Amino acid sequence: MADTATLIGRPSIGQPTRRVDGPLKVSGGARYAGEYFADDLLHGYVVSGSIAKGRILSIDTSAAMAIPGVVEVFTHENRPRTAWFDSKYQDQVAPPGSPFRPLYGDGILYSGQPIALVVAESFEAARDAAALVKATYAPEEHITDLDAVKGQSYVPPKKRSGIAPPPEPRGDAEAAFAKAPVKVHETYRVAVEHHNPMEPFATTVVRDAGGKLTIYDKTQGSQNAQAYVTGVFGLNQSDVTVVNAFVGGAFGIGLRPQHQLFLAVMAAQALERSVRVVLTRDQMFTLSYRPETIQTLSLGSAPGGKLDAIMHHAVAGTSHFEDYQEVVVNWAGLLYGCDNVKLSYELAKIDTYTPSDMRAPGATLGVFALESAMDELAYAAGVDPLQLRLTNYADFDQNEDKKFTSKALISCYEQGAERFGWSKRSAEPRSMRDGHELVGWGMATGVWEAKINKTAARASLTETGHLEVSSATSDIGTGTYTVMALTGADAFGLPIEHVTARLGDSSLPTAPVEGGSWAAASTSSAVVDACDKLKQALFKQAQSMPDSPFGNVDFDGVAFRDGRMMLAADEGSSVKLGEIVRSARQHRMEAEGSAAPDSATQKEYVSYTHSAIFVEVKVDEELGVVRVTRIVNAVAAGKILNPKAARSQILGGVVMAMGAALEEETFADHNLGRFMNHNFAEYHVPVNADVQDIDVIFVEEPDDKTSPIGAKGIGEIGIVGTTAAIANAVYHATGKRIRDLPITIDKILA
Amino acid sequence: MSDAIRFLLGDRERVLRDVPPTLTVLEYLRRHERRTGTKEGCAEGDCGACTVVLQEPDGQGGLRRRAVNSCIQFVAVLDGRQLLTVEDLKAADGTLHPVQQAIVDRHGSQCGFCTPGFVMQLYSGWLGQDYSERPEVKNWIAGNLCRCTGYGPIIDAGLAALDAERPGTAETTALAERLEALGHGEMLHLAHDGPHGRQEWFAPRSVDELAAIYLAHPDAVLVAGATDVGLWVTKQHRHLATLIDVTRIPELAALRDTGNELAIGAGVTHSAAMEALSALHPDLGKLLTRFAAVQIRNAGTVGGNIANGSPIGDLPPALIALDARLQLRKGREQREIALENFFVAYGNQDRAPGEFVESVTVPKLRPNTRFACYKLSKRFDSDISAVMAAFSVTVEAGRIASARLAFGGMAATPKRAKAAETALMGSAFGLEAFEAAAVALAEDFQPLTDMRASAQYRLLAAQNLLRRFALENAPAGRPVATRVLEIAHG
Ligand SMILES: Cc1cc2nc3c(=O)[nH]c(=O)nc-3n(C[C@H](O)[C@H](O)[C@H](O)COP(=O)(O)OP(=O)(O)OC[C@H]3O[C@@H](n4cnc5c(N)ncnc54)[C@H](O)[C@@H]3O)c2cc1C
Ligand code: FES
Ligand code: FES
Repeated sequence: MADTATLIGRPSIGQPTRRVDGPLKVSGGARYAGEYFADDLLHGYVVSGSIAKGRILSIDTSAAMAIPGVVEVFTHENRPRTAWFDSKYQDQVAPPGSPFRPLYGDGILYSGQPIALVVAESFEAARDAAALVKATYAPEEHITDLDAVKGQSYVPPKKRSGIAPPPEPRGDAEAAFAKAPVKVHETYRVAVEHHNPMEPFATTVVRDAGGKLTIYDKTQGSQNAQAYVTGVFGLNQSDVTVVNAFVGGAFGIGLRPQHQLFLAVMAAQALERSVRVVLTRDQMFTLSYRPETIQTLSLGSAPGGKLDAIMHHAVAGTSHFEDYQEVVVNWAGLLYGCDNVKLSYELAKIDTYTPSDMRAPGATLGVFALESAMDELAYAAGVDPLQLRLTNYADFDQNEDKKFTSKALISCYEQGAERFGWSKRSAEPRSMRDGHELVGWGMATGVWEAKINKTAARASLTETGHLEVSSATSDIGTGTYTVMALTGADAFGLPIEHVTARLGDSSLPTAPVEGGSWAAASTSSAVVDACDKLKQALFKQAQSMPDSPFGNVDFDGVAFRDGRMMLAADEGSSVKLGEIVRSARQHRMEAEGSAAPDSATQKEYVSYTHSAIFVEVKVDEELGVVRVTRIVNAVAAGKILNPKAARSQILGGVVMAMGAALEEETFADHNLGRFMNHNFAEYHVPVNADVQDIDVIFVEEPDDKTSPIGAKGIGEIGIVGTTAAIANAVYHATGKRIRDLPITIDKILA
Repeated sequence: MSDAIRFLLGDRERVLRDVPPTLTVLEYLRRHERRTGTKEGCAEGDCGACTVVLQEPDGQGGLRRRAVNSCIQFVAVLDGRQLLTVEDLKAADGTLHPVQQAIVDRHGSQCGFCTPGFVMQLYSGWLGQDYSERPEVKNWIAGNLCRCTGYGPIIDAGLAALDAERPGTAETTALAERLEALGHGEMLHLAHDGPHGRQEWFAPRSVDELAAIYLAHPDAVLVAGATDVGLWVTKQHRHLATLIDVTRIPELAALRDTGNELAIGAGVTHSAAMEALSALHPDLGKLLTRFAAVQIRNAGTVGGNIANGSPIGDLPPALIALDARLQLRKGREQREIALENFFVAYGNQDRAPGEFVESVTVPKLRPNTRFACYKLSKRFDSDISAVMAAFSVTVEAGRIASARLAFGGMAATPKRAKAAETALMGSAFGLEAFEAAAVALAEDFQPLTDMRASAQYRLLAAQNLLRRFALENAPAGRPVATRVLEIAHG
């Protein structure tokens, strides 16, 4: 059973609400994947390989086996049988290719690849023994440097499901660019970043006497993990439950099953014991990452800045075994009106693990390049950067030739600029100072897709009148528990303490992985539907009760409030919900509901969230130190379900963007083919001193088409565009255009 | 001698015997006690998710407390103390502690994984009334990382809980007495036979005891705050056979002000040294606020920062610029050397087997001496220096009479820039002289390029620091709004 959250407060949709899971999280009561115990629990410790490419010649486990308490050391040589076909390893979000199969054979595909799992009675024994596993290799020449292979880039032959390839070119972008009076043509890059959620990856497999597995896994999708395990190990769905009640952050790295899940289940099955495998922080750097991407942007405009040509070309790194894809360049054809557009997206293979979705995948990169180039165009054309965006404002999506369900980006620009004081900006770079520091103001636009995904939910009412809403969705810190509970409370007019939300358990109604900002809108829409169905069932039952006051009305004639069903016209005539359940001789009544995108709407409309970001930086010229002193992020995201949670999501996104802009980068030593800074001392994520004044504005944006409840999702939009706004502010401060992120002290001083 | 660690876990007494001495407090909590509220985010002191609070009697009927990173503290640190974790804060009836409630109310927790660490760090500051303003809260939680919230809501929560009522004196006194009764005042000696052989831990109670034990076990590893040694175990998986704890010795934990000089015992933590060093010069206090973060400063020692011989330690350049001297002891022999001579080469210090650092003595600044220290790092807070510089320049009769320019991060050891110093001698204090020094600096150092900074950046920034020092201290220089140390302050 999953831990469920205690619910407090008495709020309603659209009102700021405390999180229902807050009390457990502040008191140490929320249990994460690596924190479940079993009397027969064994501890697994992963041994990582040390070369980037080649073969394992030999692997000596005798010294490790000799450590007291060590039960088994699994390698490719003694791995128990698992699925043969790589298609079995394919999960819901896998890109085209052959997924990595841990301990499958002697081949080494990337540095840090797991080559053994030491399993012992104690963690200490497993850890100590892991250090004694010795492998010898036949290394082959590897390439981890994207620059070395970018010349061999290719259009991915098979598209990744859910990822729109670049649209067909429109107009004649090359010709238009050639004769454009104002031009920008530049290359932009963003370094490899690792997600680094605070919780390291972990799996605890609890095996009961009958061999059934309850798997506590750090994942963004319990059912995705369940399907992976049953597929790979040939198990019945009914014998495997995956629980992810609490997930200590993920940002995309938990979308796909990670190797500790495979290893823990493998060991549990082979040894017929419960097993836990937890990765260390440095092993987190052997997992996936945001791909390094080289982008070229060409913008051509009329003298006033009206765009006449856009060309955006991107080359992104991927592994040799999968074609990971994300939407990098399409934004350039979407965000601004322009008749001559050519967009292309290619991959190049390097000897690393497959990259993965990381918060606002693709857009974080593509919009950085686009919005940096737009800033450059503003200077080239001599117009204000904000004015340039307004001049080129797009009223409809030229990529797909569809209307927007809603687009309040103009309000974002206006309200953001007003709050920031943009009109007081002096255009010239290096023209603003504070003491000996240079001051820079920059802005950019953000955009992210809004959609709902097919999701089911259950609503169930007990004889005591308590409502439980449930779905196999996840809460990776995004507040899904709270939004679900609120939605249920709202539907029944119940105080929220009479509602329990359950999620993070593969046995609950079907839901997709939690990613792409869609969980809140999709799950709450499904909860609304389930509640509606349950209300109708309750109504039917109530009608059949002796002396029912509802005999002569139809469903529209009743209302639900404070745990009662009542006549809308006469609130005095009411029945307690629990009584209705009891009258059916049941302990509970329940109904399932679902939500799915509406295909009729999708034919005509596209849906996006938008934002306008305004940034102030101060730069110490002599030392290259940059501080982001002020950010205003104005967001249009439809209806905001829980303003407190939404604000907090945007703040988190903005701060992650500050990291990407100024600090975060994983360095590779291309000679070794290995990431070098695999810890928090060297991989810098923002600390609180980096964060000063961040102001979030949600502009009004009525939307009745994106989702039944009018919400669009706010998990990703905060990060998109913010990096560009910071880079643009650095240019305004210093006159130095830095096109490769992060903007570190030495780049400023160079 | 005592062979067991006695302490309070919350309000329950615990006795640990025959545990591996290098078992960390975090592993003990999570695996042995199955108390999983305290989290592991990095196992190397960088993230604060593992923060716990230790309390001990202050000898005057009250309590002393400090938050530390349990991931790199060894269990022996618990001896005679109370260990509080996030599970201990709720009232008996389940009511959340005001700090916890404020985090719930302000949305200071999203995924929640960092939350126990923030709760404990804020709780320790709330108990000790260590913060009351926003910048103080920010500084207080500088060692806690959160990847979800963007920090603002957590800072708000810290401020919101400020006024909640604190425990009364009766409660404090009772706890202090209970802990006094646990204490034994004897040397702790732990021995444990593990898979790699025997491990021993000694915690002597006097310098003489320490000298004798170290002489008998010259291969032993001395442990002070364990902010370096802890990582040898958790990251490098080194097997340490014999360890000697130097933090239970009153003489080594003492600070002595002789009027002209400040003598800092090798076991004095950075937190404990902060006030006295700030009094020597405010820059030293500011430097310490940028030395790691509170939890590390609560454990790490001045002695450890010197003895580890790191080329990028923050204190050595500052202390070298101040002409500090090091007191060393081996058996009964004591000797004193200039601190700068302690650093012989990378990984090599002037310290014999069985010899330990007893204290460091820092002369106070003379009125005609201008001093500043600067820490440059990629990330402003909680980061190791890319360049660390400390300058002390004395002017007599309008001319520079002595100059000590010390740098970290520019060479294999903390080192003086002799050529630049020579360039200054005899000149009038001003930009011209320091321009010459900046040029000469290129003879002093050929810095390396690494992940923190490029060689060019290091040299150029170091030169710019000399120029800045000149401008800041010149009688009629350009007005400088802020010192470098504050430049990136939030
Ligand atoms: C997260 C983190 C951040 C850090 N940030 C900084 C920073 O900003 N600036 C900085 O300079 N350092 C930093 N450090 C490094 C470290 O904290 C400091 O060097 C600290 O002062 C070491 O002191 P300690 O008492 O913890 O030493 P320990 O780890 O206990 O010991 C360090 C070394 O000194 C030896 N030793 C200890 N005491 C004596 C003695 N009396 N005589 C002889 N040898 C002795 C030990 O045997 C060991 O070799 C950081 C470390 C961490 C984990
Ligand atoms: S676990 Fe990160 S500081 Fe201890
Ligand atoms: S709430 Fe997720 S890391 Fe802080």
